Amino acid sequence: MDFGLIAQYLANGILLGTMYALVAVGFTLFFGVLDVVKFSHGDVLMLGTFIGFTAWLGLEAIGVTNPWIQLLGILLCSLGATALIGAAIAKWLVLPLKKAPQLNTLLITLMLGTAIREVVRLFYPNGSNPKAFPALLPNSAIEIGNFSLRADSVILVLAGLGLIGLLNLVINRTRLGLAIRAVAQDEETARIMGINYTLVVLATFALGSGVAAFAGIMNGLYYNEINFGMGLILGLIGFSAAIVGGLGNLYGAILGGFLFAGLQTVGAALLPFASAYKDVFAFAVVIALMAWKPTGLIPERSSDRV
Amino acid sequence: MEFNMRNKFHGIVLAATACAGLALATSAPAKETVQLGFLGPLTGGNSSVGLGGRNSAELAIRLRNDDPNSKYTYELDALDDECKPNVGVQVATKLATNRKVAGAVTHYCSAVAMGTVDVYHRFGLPATIWGAVLPDITYGNDYPEITRVNGTMINQNETAAKMMTGLGYKTFAIIHDTTDYGKGHFTYLSKYLGEDGAEVVGSFGVTSDQQDFTAELTQVKALNPDVVVFAGLTPGGVRVRQQMDKLGINAVFEGVSGIKSDAFFEGLGTDLAEGTMTFLEGAPAEKLPGGAFFLSEYEKAGYSTPPEAYGPFAFAAMNLLIDAVETVGPDRKAIVGYMGKVQDHQSITGPISFDDHGQNTVALITGYVAQDGKWVVWEDSDYAKGIRQLPAAK
Amino acid sequence: MTDISLNPLDRPRPWLAGASVILASGLYVWALIVAEETWQVLGLLLLALVAVVIGLKTGLSRRVQQDWAQSEPRLNRLAFATLIVLILALSQAHFALLMVTTVLLYFVAAMGLNIQFGFAGMVNFAGAAFFGAGAYTAAVLGTIDAFPPLLTLVAGGLVALLLGIPLLVPIVRTTGHYAAVVTIAFGVLFRTFLEVNEILGGPQGLMVAPMRLFGWDFNNSPTIGGFEMSFYANYALFAAVLAALVFVLMRRLERSWIGLHMDAVRLDETAAACFGISVKRTKITAFLMGNLILGVSGALYGMMISFIAPASFTFSDSLLLVSIVLLGGMGSPWGAAVAATIVVLLPEKLQLLQEYRFLLFSILVMLVLLFRPDGLLPRQLRNFFATRRAVK
Repeated sequence: MDFGLIAQYLANGILLGTMYALVAVGFTLFFGVLDVVKFSHGDVLMLGTFIGFTAWLGLEAIGVTNPWIQLLGILLCSLGATALIGAAIAKWLVLPLKKAPQLNTLLITLMLGTAIREVVRLFYPNGSNPKAFPALLPNSAIEIGNFSLRADSVILVLAGLGLIGLLNLVINRTRLGLAIRAVAQDEETARIMGINYTLVVLATFALGSGVAAFAGIMNGLYYNEINFGMGLILGLIGFSAAIVGGLGNLYGAILGGFLFAGLQTVGAALLPFASAYKDVFAFAVVIALMAWKPTGLIPERSSDRV
Repeated sequence: MEFNMRNKFHGIVLAATACAGLALATSAPAKETVQLGFLGPLTGGNSSVGLGGRNSAELAIRLRNDDPNSKYTYELDALDDECKPNVGVQVATKLATNRKVAGAVTHYCSAVAMGTVDVYHRFGLPATIWGAVLPDITYGNDYPEITRVNGTMINQNETAAKMMTGLGYKTFAIIHDTTDYGKGHFTYLSKYLGEDGAEVVGSFGVTSDQQDFTAELTQVKALNPDVVVFAGLTPGGVRVRQQMDKLGINAVFEGVSGIKSDAFFEGLGTDLAEGTMTFLEGAPAEKLPGGAFFLSEYEKAGYSTPPEAYGPFAFAAMNLLIDAVETVGPDRKAIVGYMGKVQDHQSITGPISFDDHGQNTVALITGYVAQDGKWVVWEDSDYAKGIRQLPAAK
Repeated sequence: MTDISLNPLDRPRPWLAGASVILASGLYVWALIVAEETWQVLGLLLLALVAVVIGLKTGLSRRVQQDWAQSEPRLNRLAFATLIVLILALSQAHFALLMVTTVLLYFVAAMGLNIQFGFAGMVNFAGAAFFGAGAYTAAVLGTIDAFPPLLTLVAGGLVALLLGIPLLVPIVRTTGHYAAVVTIAFGVLFRTFLEVNEILGGPQGLMVAPMRLFGWDFNNSPTIGGFEMSFYANYALFAAVLAALVFVLMRRLERSWIGLHMDAVRLDETAAACFGISVKRTKITAFLMGNLILGVSGALYGMMISFIAPASFTFSDSLLLVSIVLLGGMGSPWGAAVAATIVVLLPEKLQLLQEYRFLLFSILVMLVLLFRPDGLLPRQLRNFFATRRAVK
């Protein structure tokens, strides 16, 4: 067995897993707090990435060429904008619909996602063509036999994992995190305890969306390309990953993300016709997993009031 | 007395009106309006090519309407097939069932074209293909309504194989998309490469909207080919080239005509695209017999998107259709009959002659290499002259 | 004393309002179909909006509801007759009939989804995959000349049903979002598999043989008294009959104990189980029945359109079917009919705005869901007997 080949697959799997985990974490946070699946998550992160791209264009135009400053600028604009958009959607679309059946919210957010995608495709100049995202990270590589370890992949993975770790810290060690967990557990009691419900919900959405935007930027920096359809695919996979890992559970989302990436990589490596069947394989396994563990790998600890 | 005066007054007014009417009627005989259809992917990932084609067809109509010698006024009925067969069939039916439409210039996506040939035949609508390259569209049936002005992928791949092997490359890895388009290219290219003594060391099928090619490219890297070929459309081509670089694959990147677009450079940037090879039927727009004329008129018309690779063919197809209408009138059967006899018909892409299956033979295939952010004809490029080097054969 | 009608709703001519609405709708749909110019379409849309508002304000809609409660069989027959008249009126316009048939077939598919979704509460985001399964069955069986096409329809339904069986285990065990992901995953799986696999044509797709009934090939134009109709009229009439049959099935199902069980399971699984209802069996019945209907409508659709490809049955198409169900109101057949008309007809008519139609359509659906979340024609309380003493 070629060590280099395996290492390459592993590296790729880790990168994909980090990306999927970042998106899945958002889904899980939203669900935990509001019992809602915000399907426009993927397209919102795409919008954020495009805003980041526009920011880069702007920075180039005014003559700032240092890649690190550009990176900082892109990150700030993109994460900030996405957080705001996510919160806005929560405030005006999701919160008012709390009483509606859950699937209505699912469908509305699906439609919203479509609308966002179409808006970018139609109104962004040449929106339907993929855009070349700048390669701002150093692209030096270390060659070990057949395996080339690139600096940018390493940086991206470390940053992504770091962000997940940071999120974990926020959720588990800060007062805001405490408030979020309280609201996720029992909304009414949390309100009685004096937690500002609306603010916490908005903060959760902002947090989740911002984190996902980082996934979008990662995607852009690694593949050096963004297009208007990237949100749909990422959103679908993130959703599946979050569900497989168990909705409402942060660790479940991370697990689900890496699991899905792992399935795709294994499918690509082992099956004939390489990637053609990898999605079939991954989704088939997801279905089988759901049959085995209906509420995800790390199941929801919920009790039904009868 | 009063009566007489009013009568006279009325009479004068009547006469004046009659004169005016006669003058108007004789000075500007109203030309009959003929509707001509255009179908292509106006939305979705291939929209740039579709819009380029539509603009070119519209240009042809506009120019002919400005011509005082034309017998009819033409109107474009442009419909979007979204590069999906079911949508294509629906819009083709819409067009074909509209009795006011005399003919149409159809399709860039081969899968769509395959589905719609029956529709055109069923309703007797003359349809001239402007961009789809799958041979079966004209050769898979005996429908006189279907004609095609651009070449098929057979000629393209034959020339491609010859040229690449001629440059000394022996081992090829082919990544193709799983649509008929990609698979067709793969079949023909493999065949001709084999005939020219080269070896296809690996082939990989990918979905047309696939984002991540690391799995395939990792295996490609292990195979270490001279050339990596991508048989698919621009979005996929951009990604494959991108990721080849990530994985440190040092090989020549070749694409089929689907990547020959300005969008390719927009997606990759000049440096990464540098040295990519591709092939297209016909000469580059500037070198076509009517190319300079076409490009300058296109520029003047001020369209927001470029004509892309198949714009000239769309223009030529529409002009051919208009010529047919001018000669035999807006009658579908007559136009089909006219198309059956087209030989050496002058157009901006050169003389058009349809064989017994309605296929125009575009003998010339041009090889292009990406140089400094532009597609340059191989023979004119620095690479052919030895000033720049493509990656060497292994 | 028993003869005195204590029912305040005892009105003379309890069908007038309903009948007039049916006839007016028929006329409106015809006008919408034949409208060519954008301003005509927009004008008609405005008219509809105004009419609906007036209807709500003047209590006309309430009268219509009462009418339906009291004389449903008669009104249903009138609606069917209006549909046939509409088809005959459009009989020379190929494309119009194609649209009408598509609306009817999507309506039938939505009925299938309604059984799964509206009655039993099982969300199915792979509706287009089962629809496609039916179409592909029709394609494959159509190549066998001796196989009677009517049976092909049934076979299409059966294949969709069989395809749903492996999904039963995860779907029955999961609820809500988890079930959603199972069906989404299946939908993606189905499409990707078709695209990659050569046997079923791959992305190139397959040709489907036309429908034949007692030797009459549906691709021939029927001529009645020298009056030649579009061959689509064959499909349109057949689809109308199919739609009527499925509609009757839905109504019967709703009033039967099976339908009651499904509603019980949807509303509260635990309570239903306490009452002795086998939740598993009910869910399985609902899912398989829905799939059967989806498959049959898919088979007819494939035969009509004569060319299918994996790209015709994507996640977006499944979303379209789910939108129809939700827009119309869960479990409401008439709602699904109206929603199917809107969803299929509007993008066609608004195609005059070409590139923007997806955007406008998604915003439209969002608005309807925001301001009228129960759907356009929400499902009414079940009406067991349409009598004069029926309560609203």
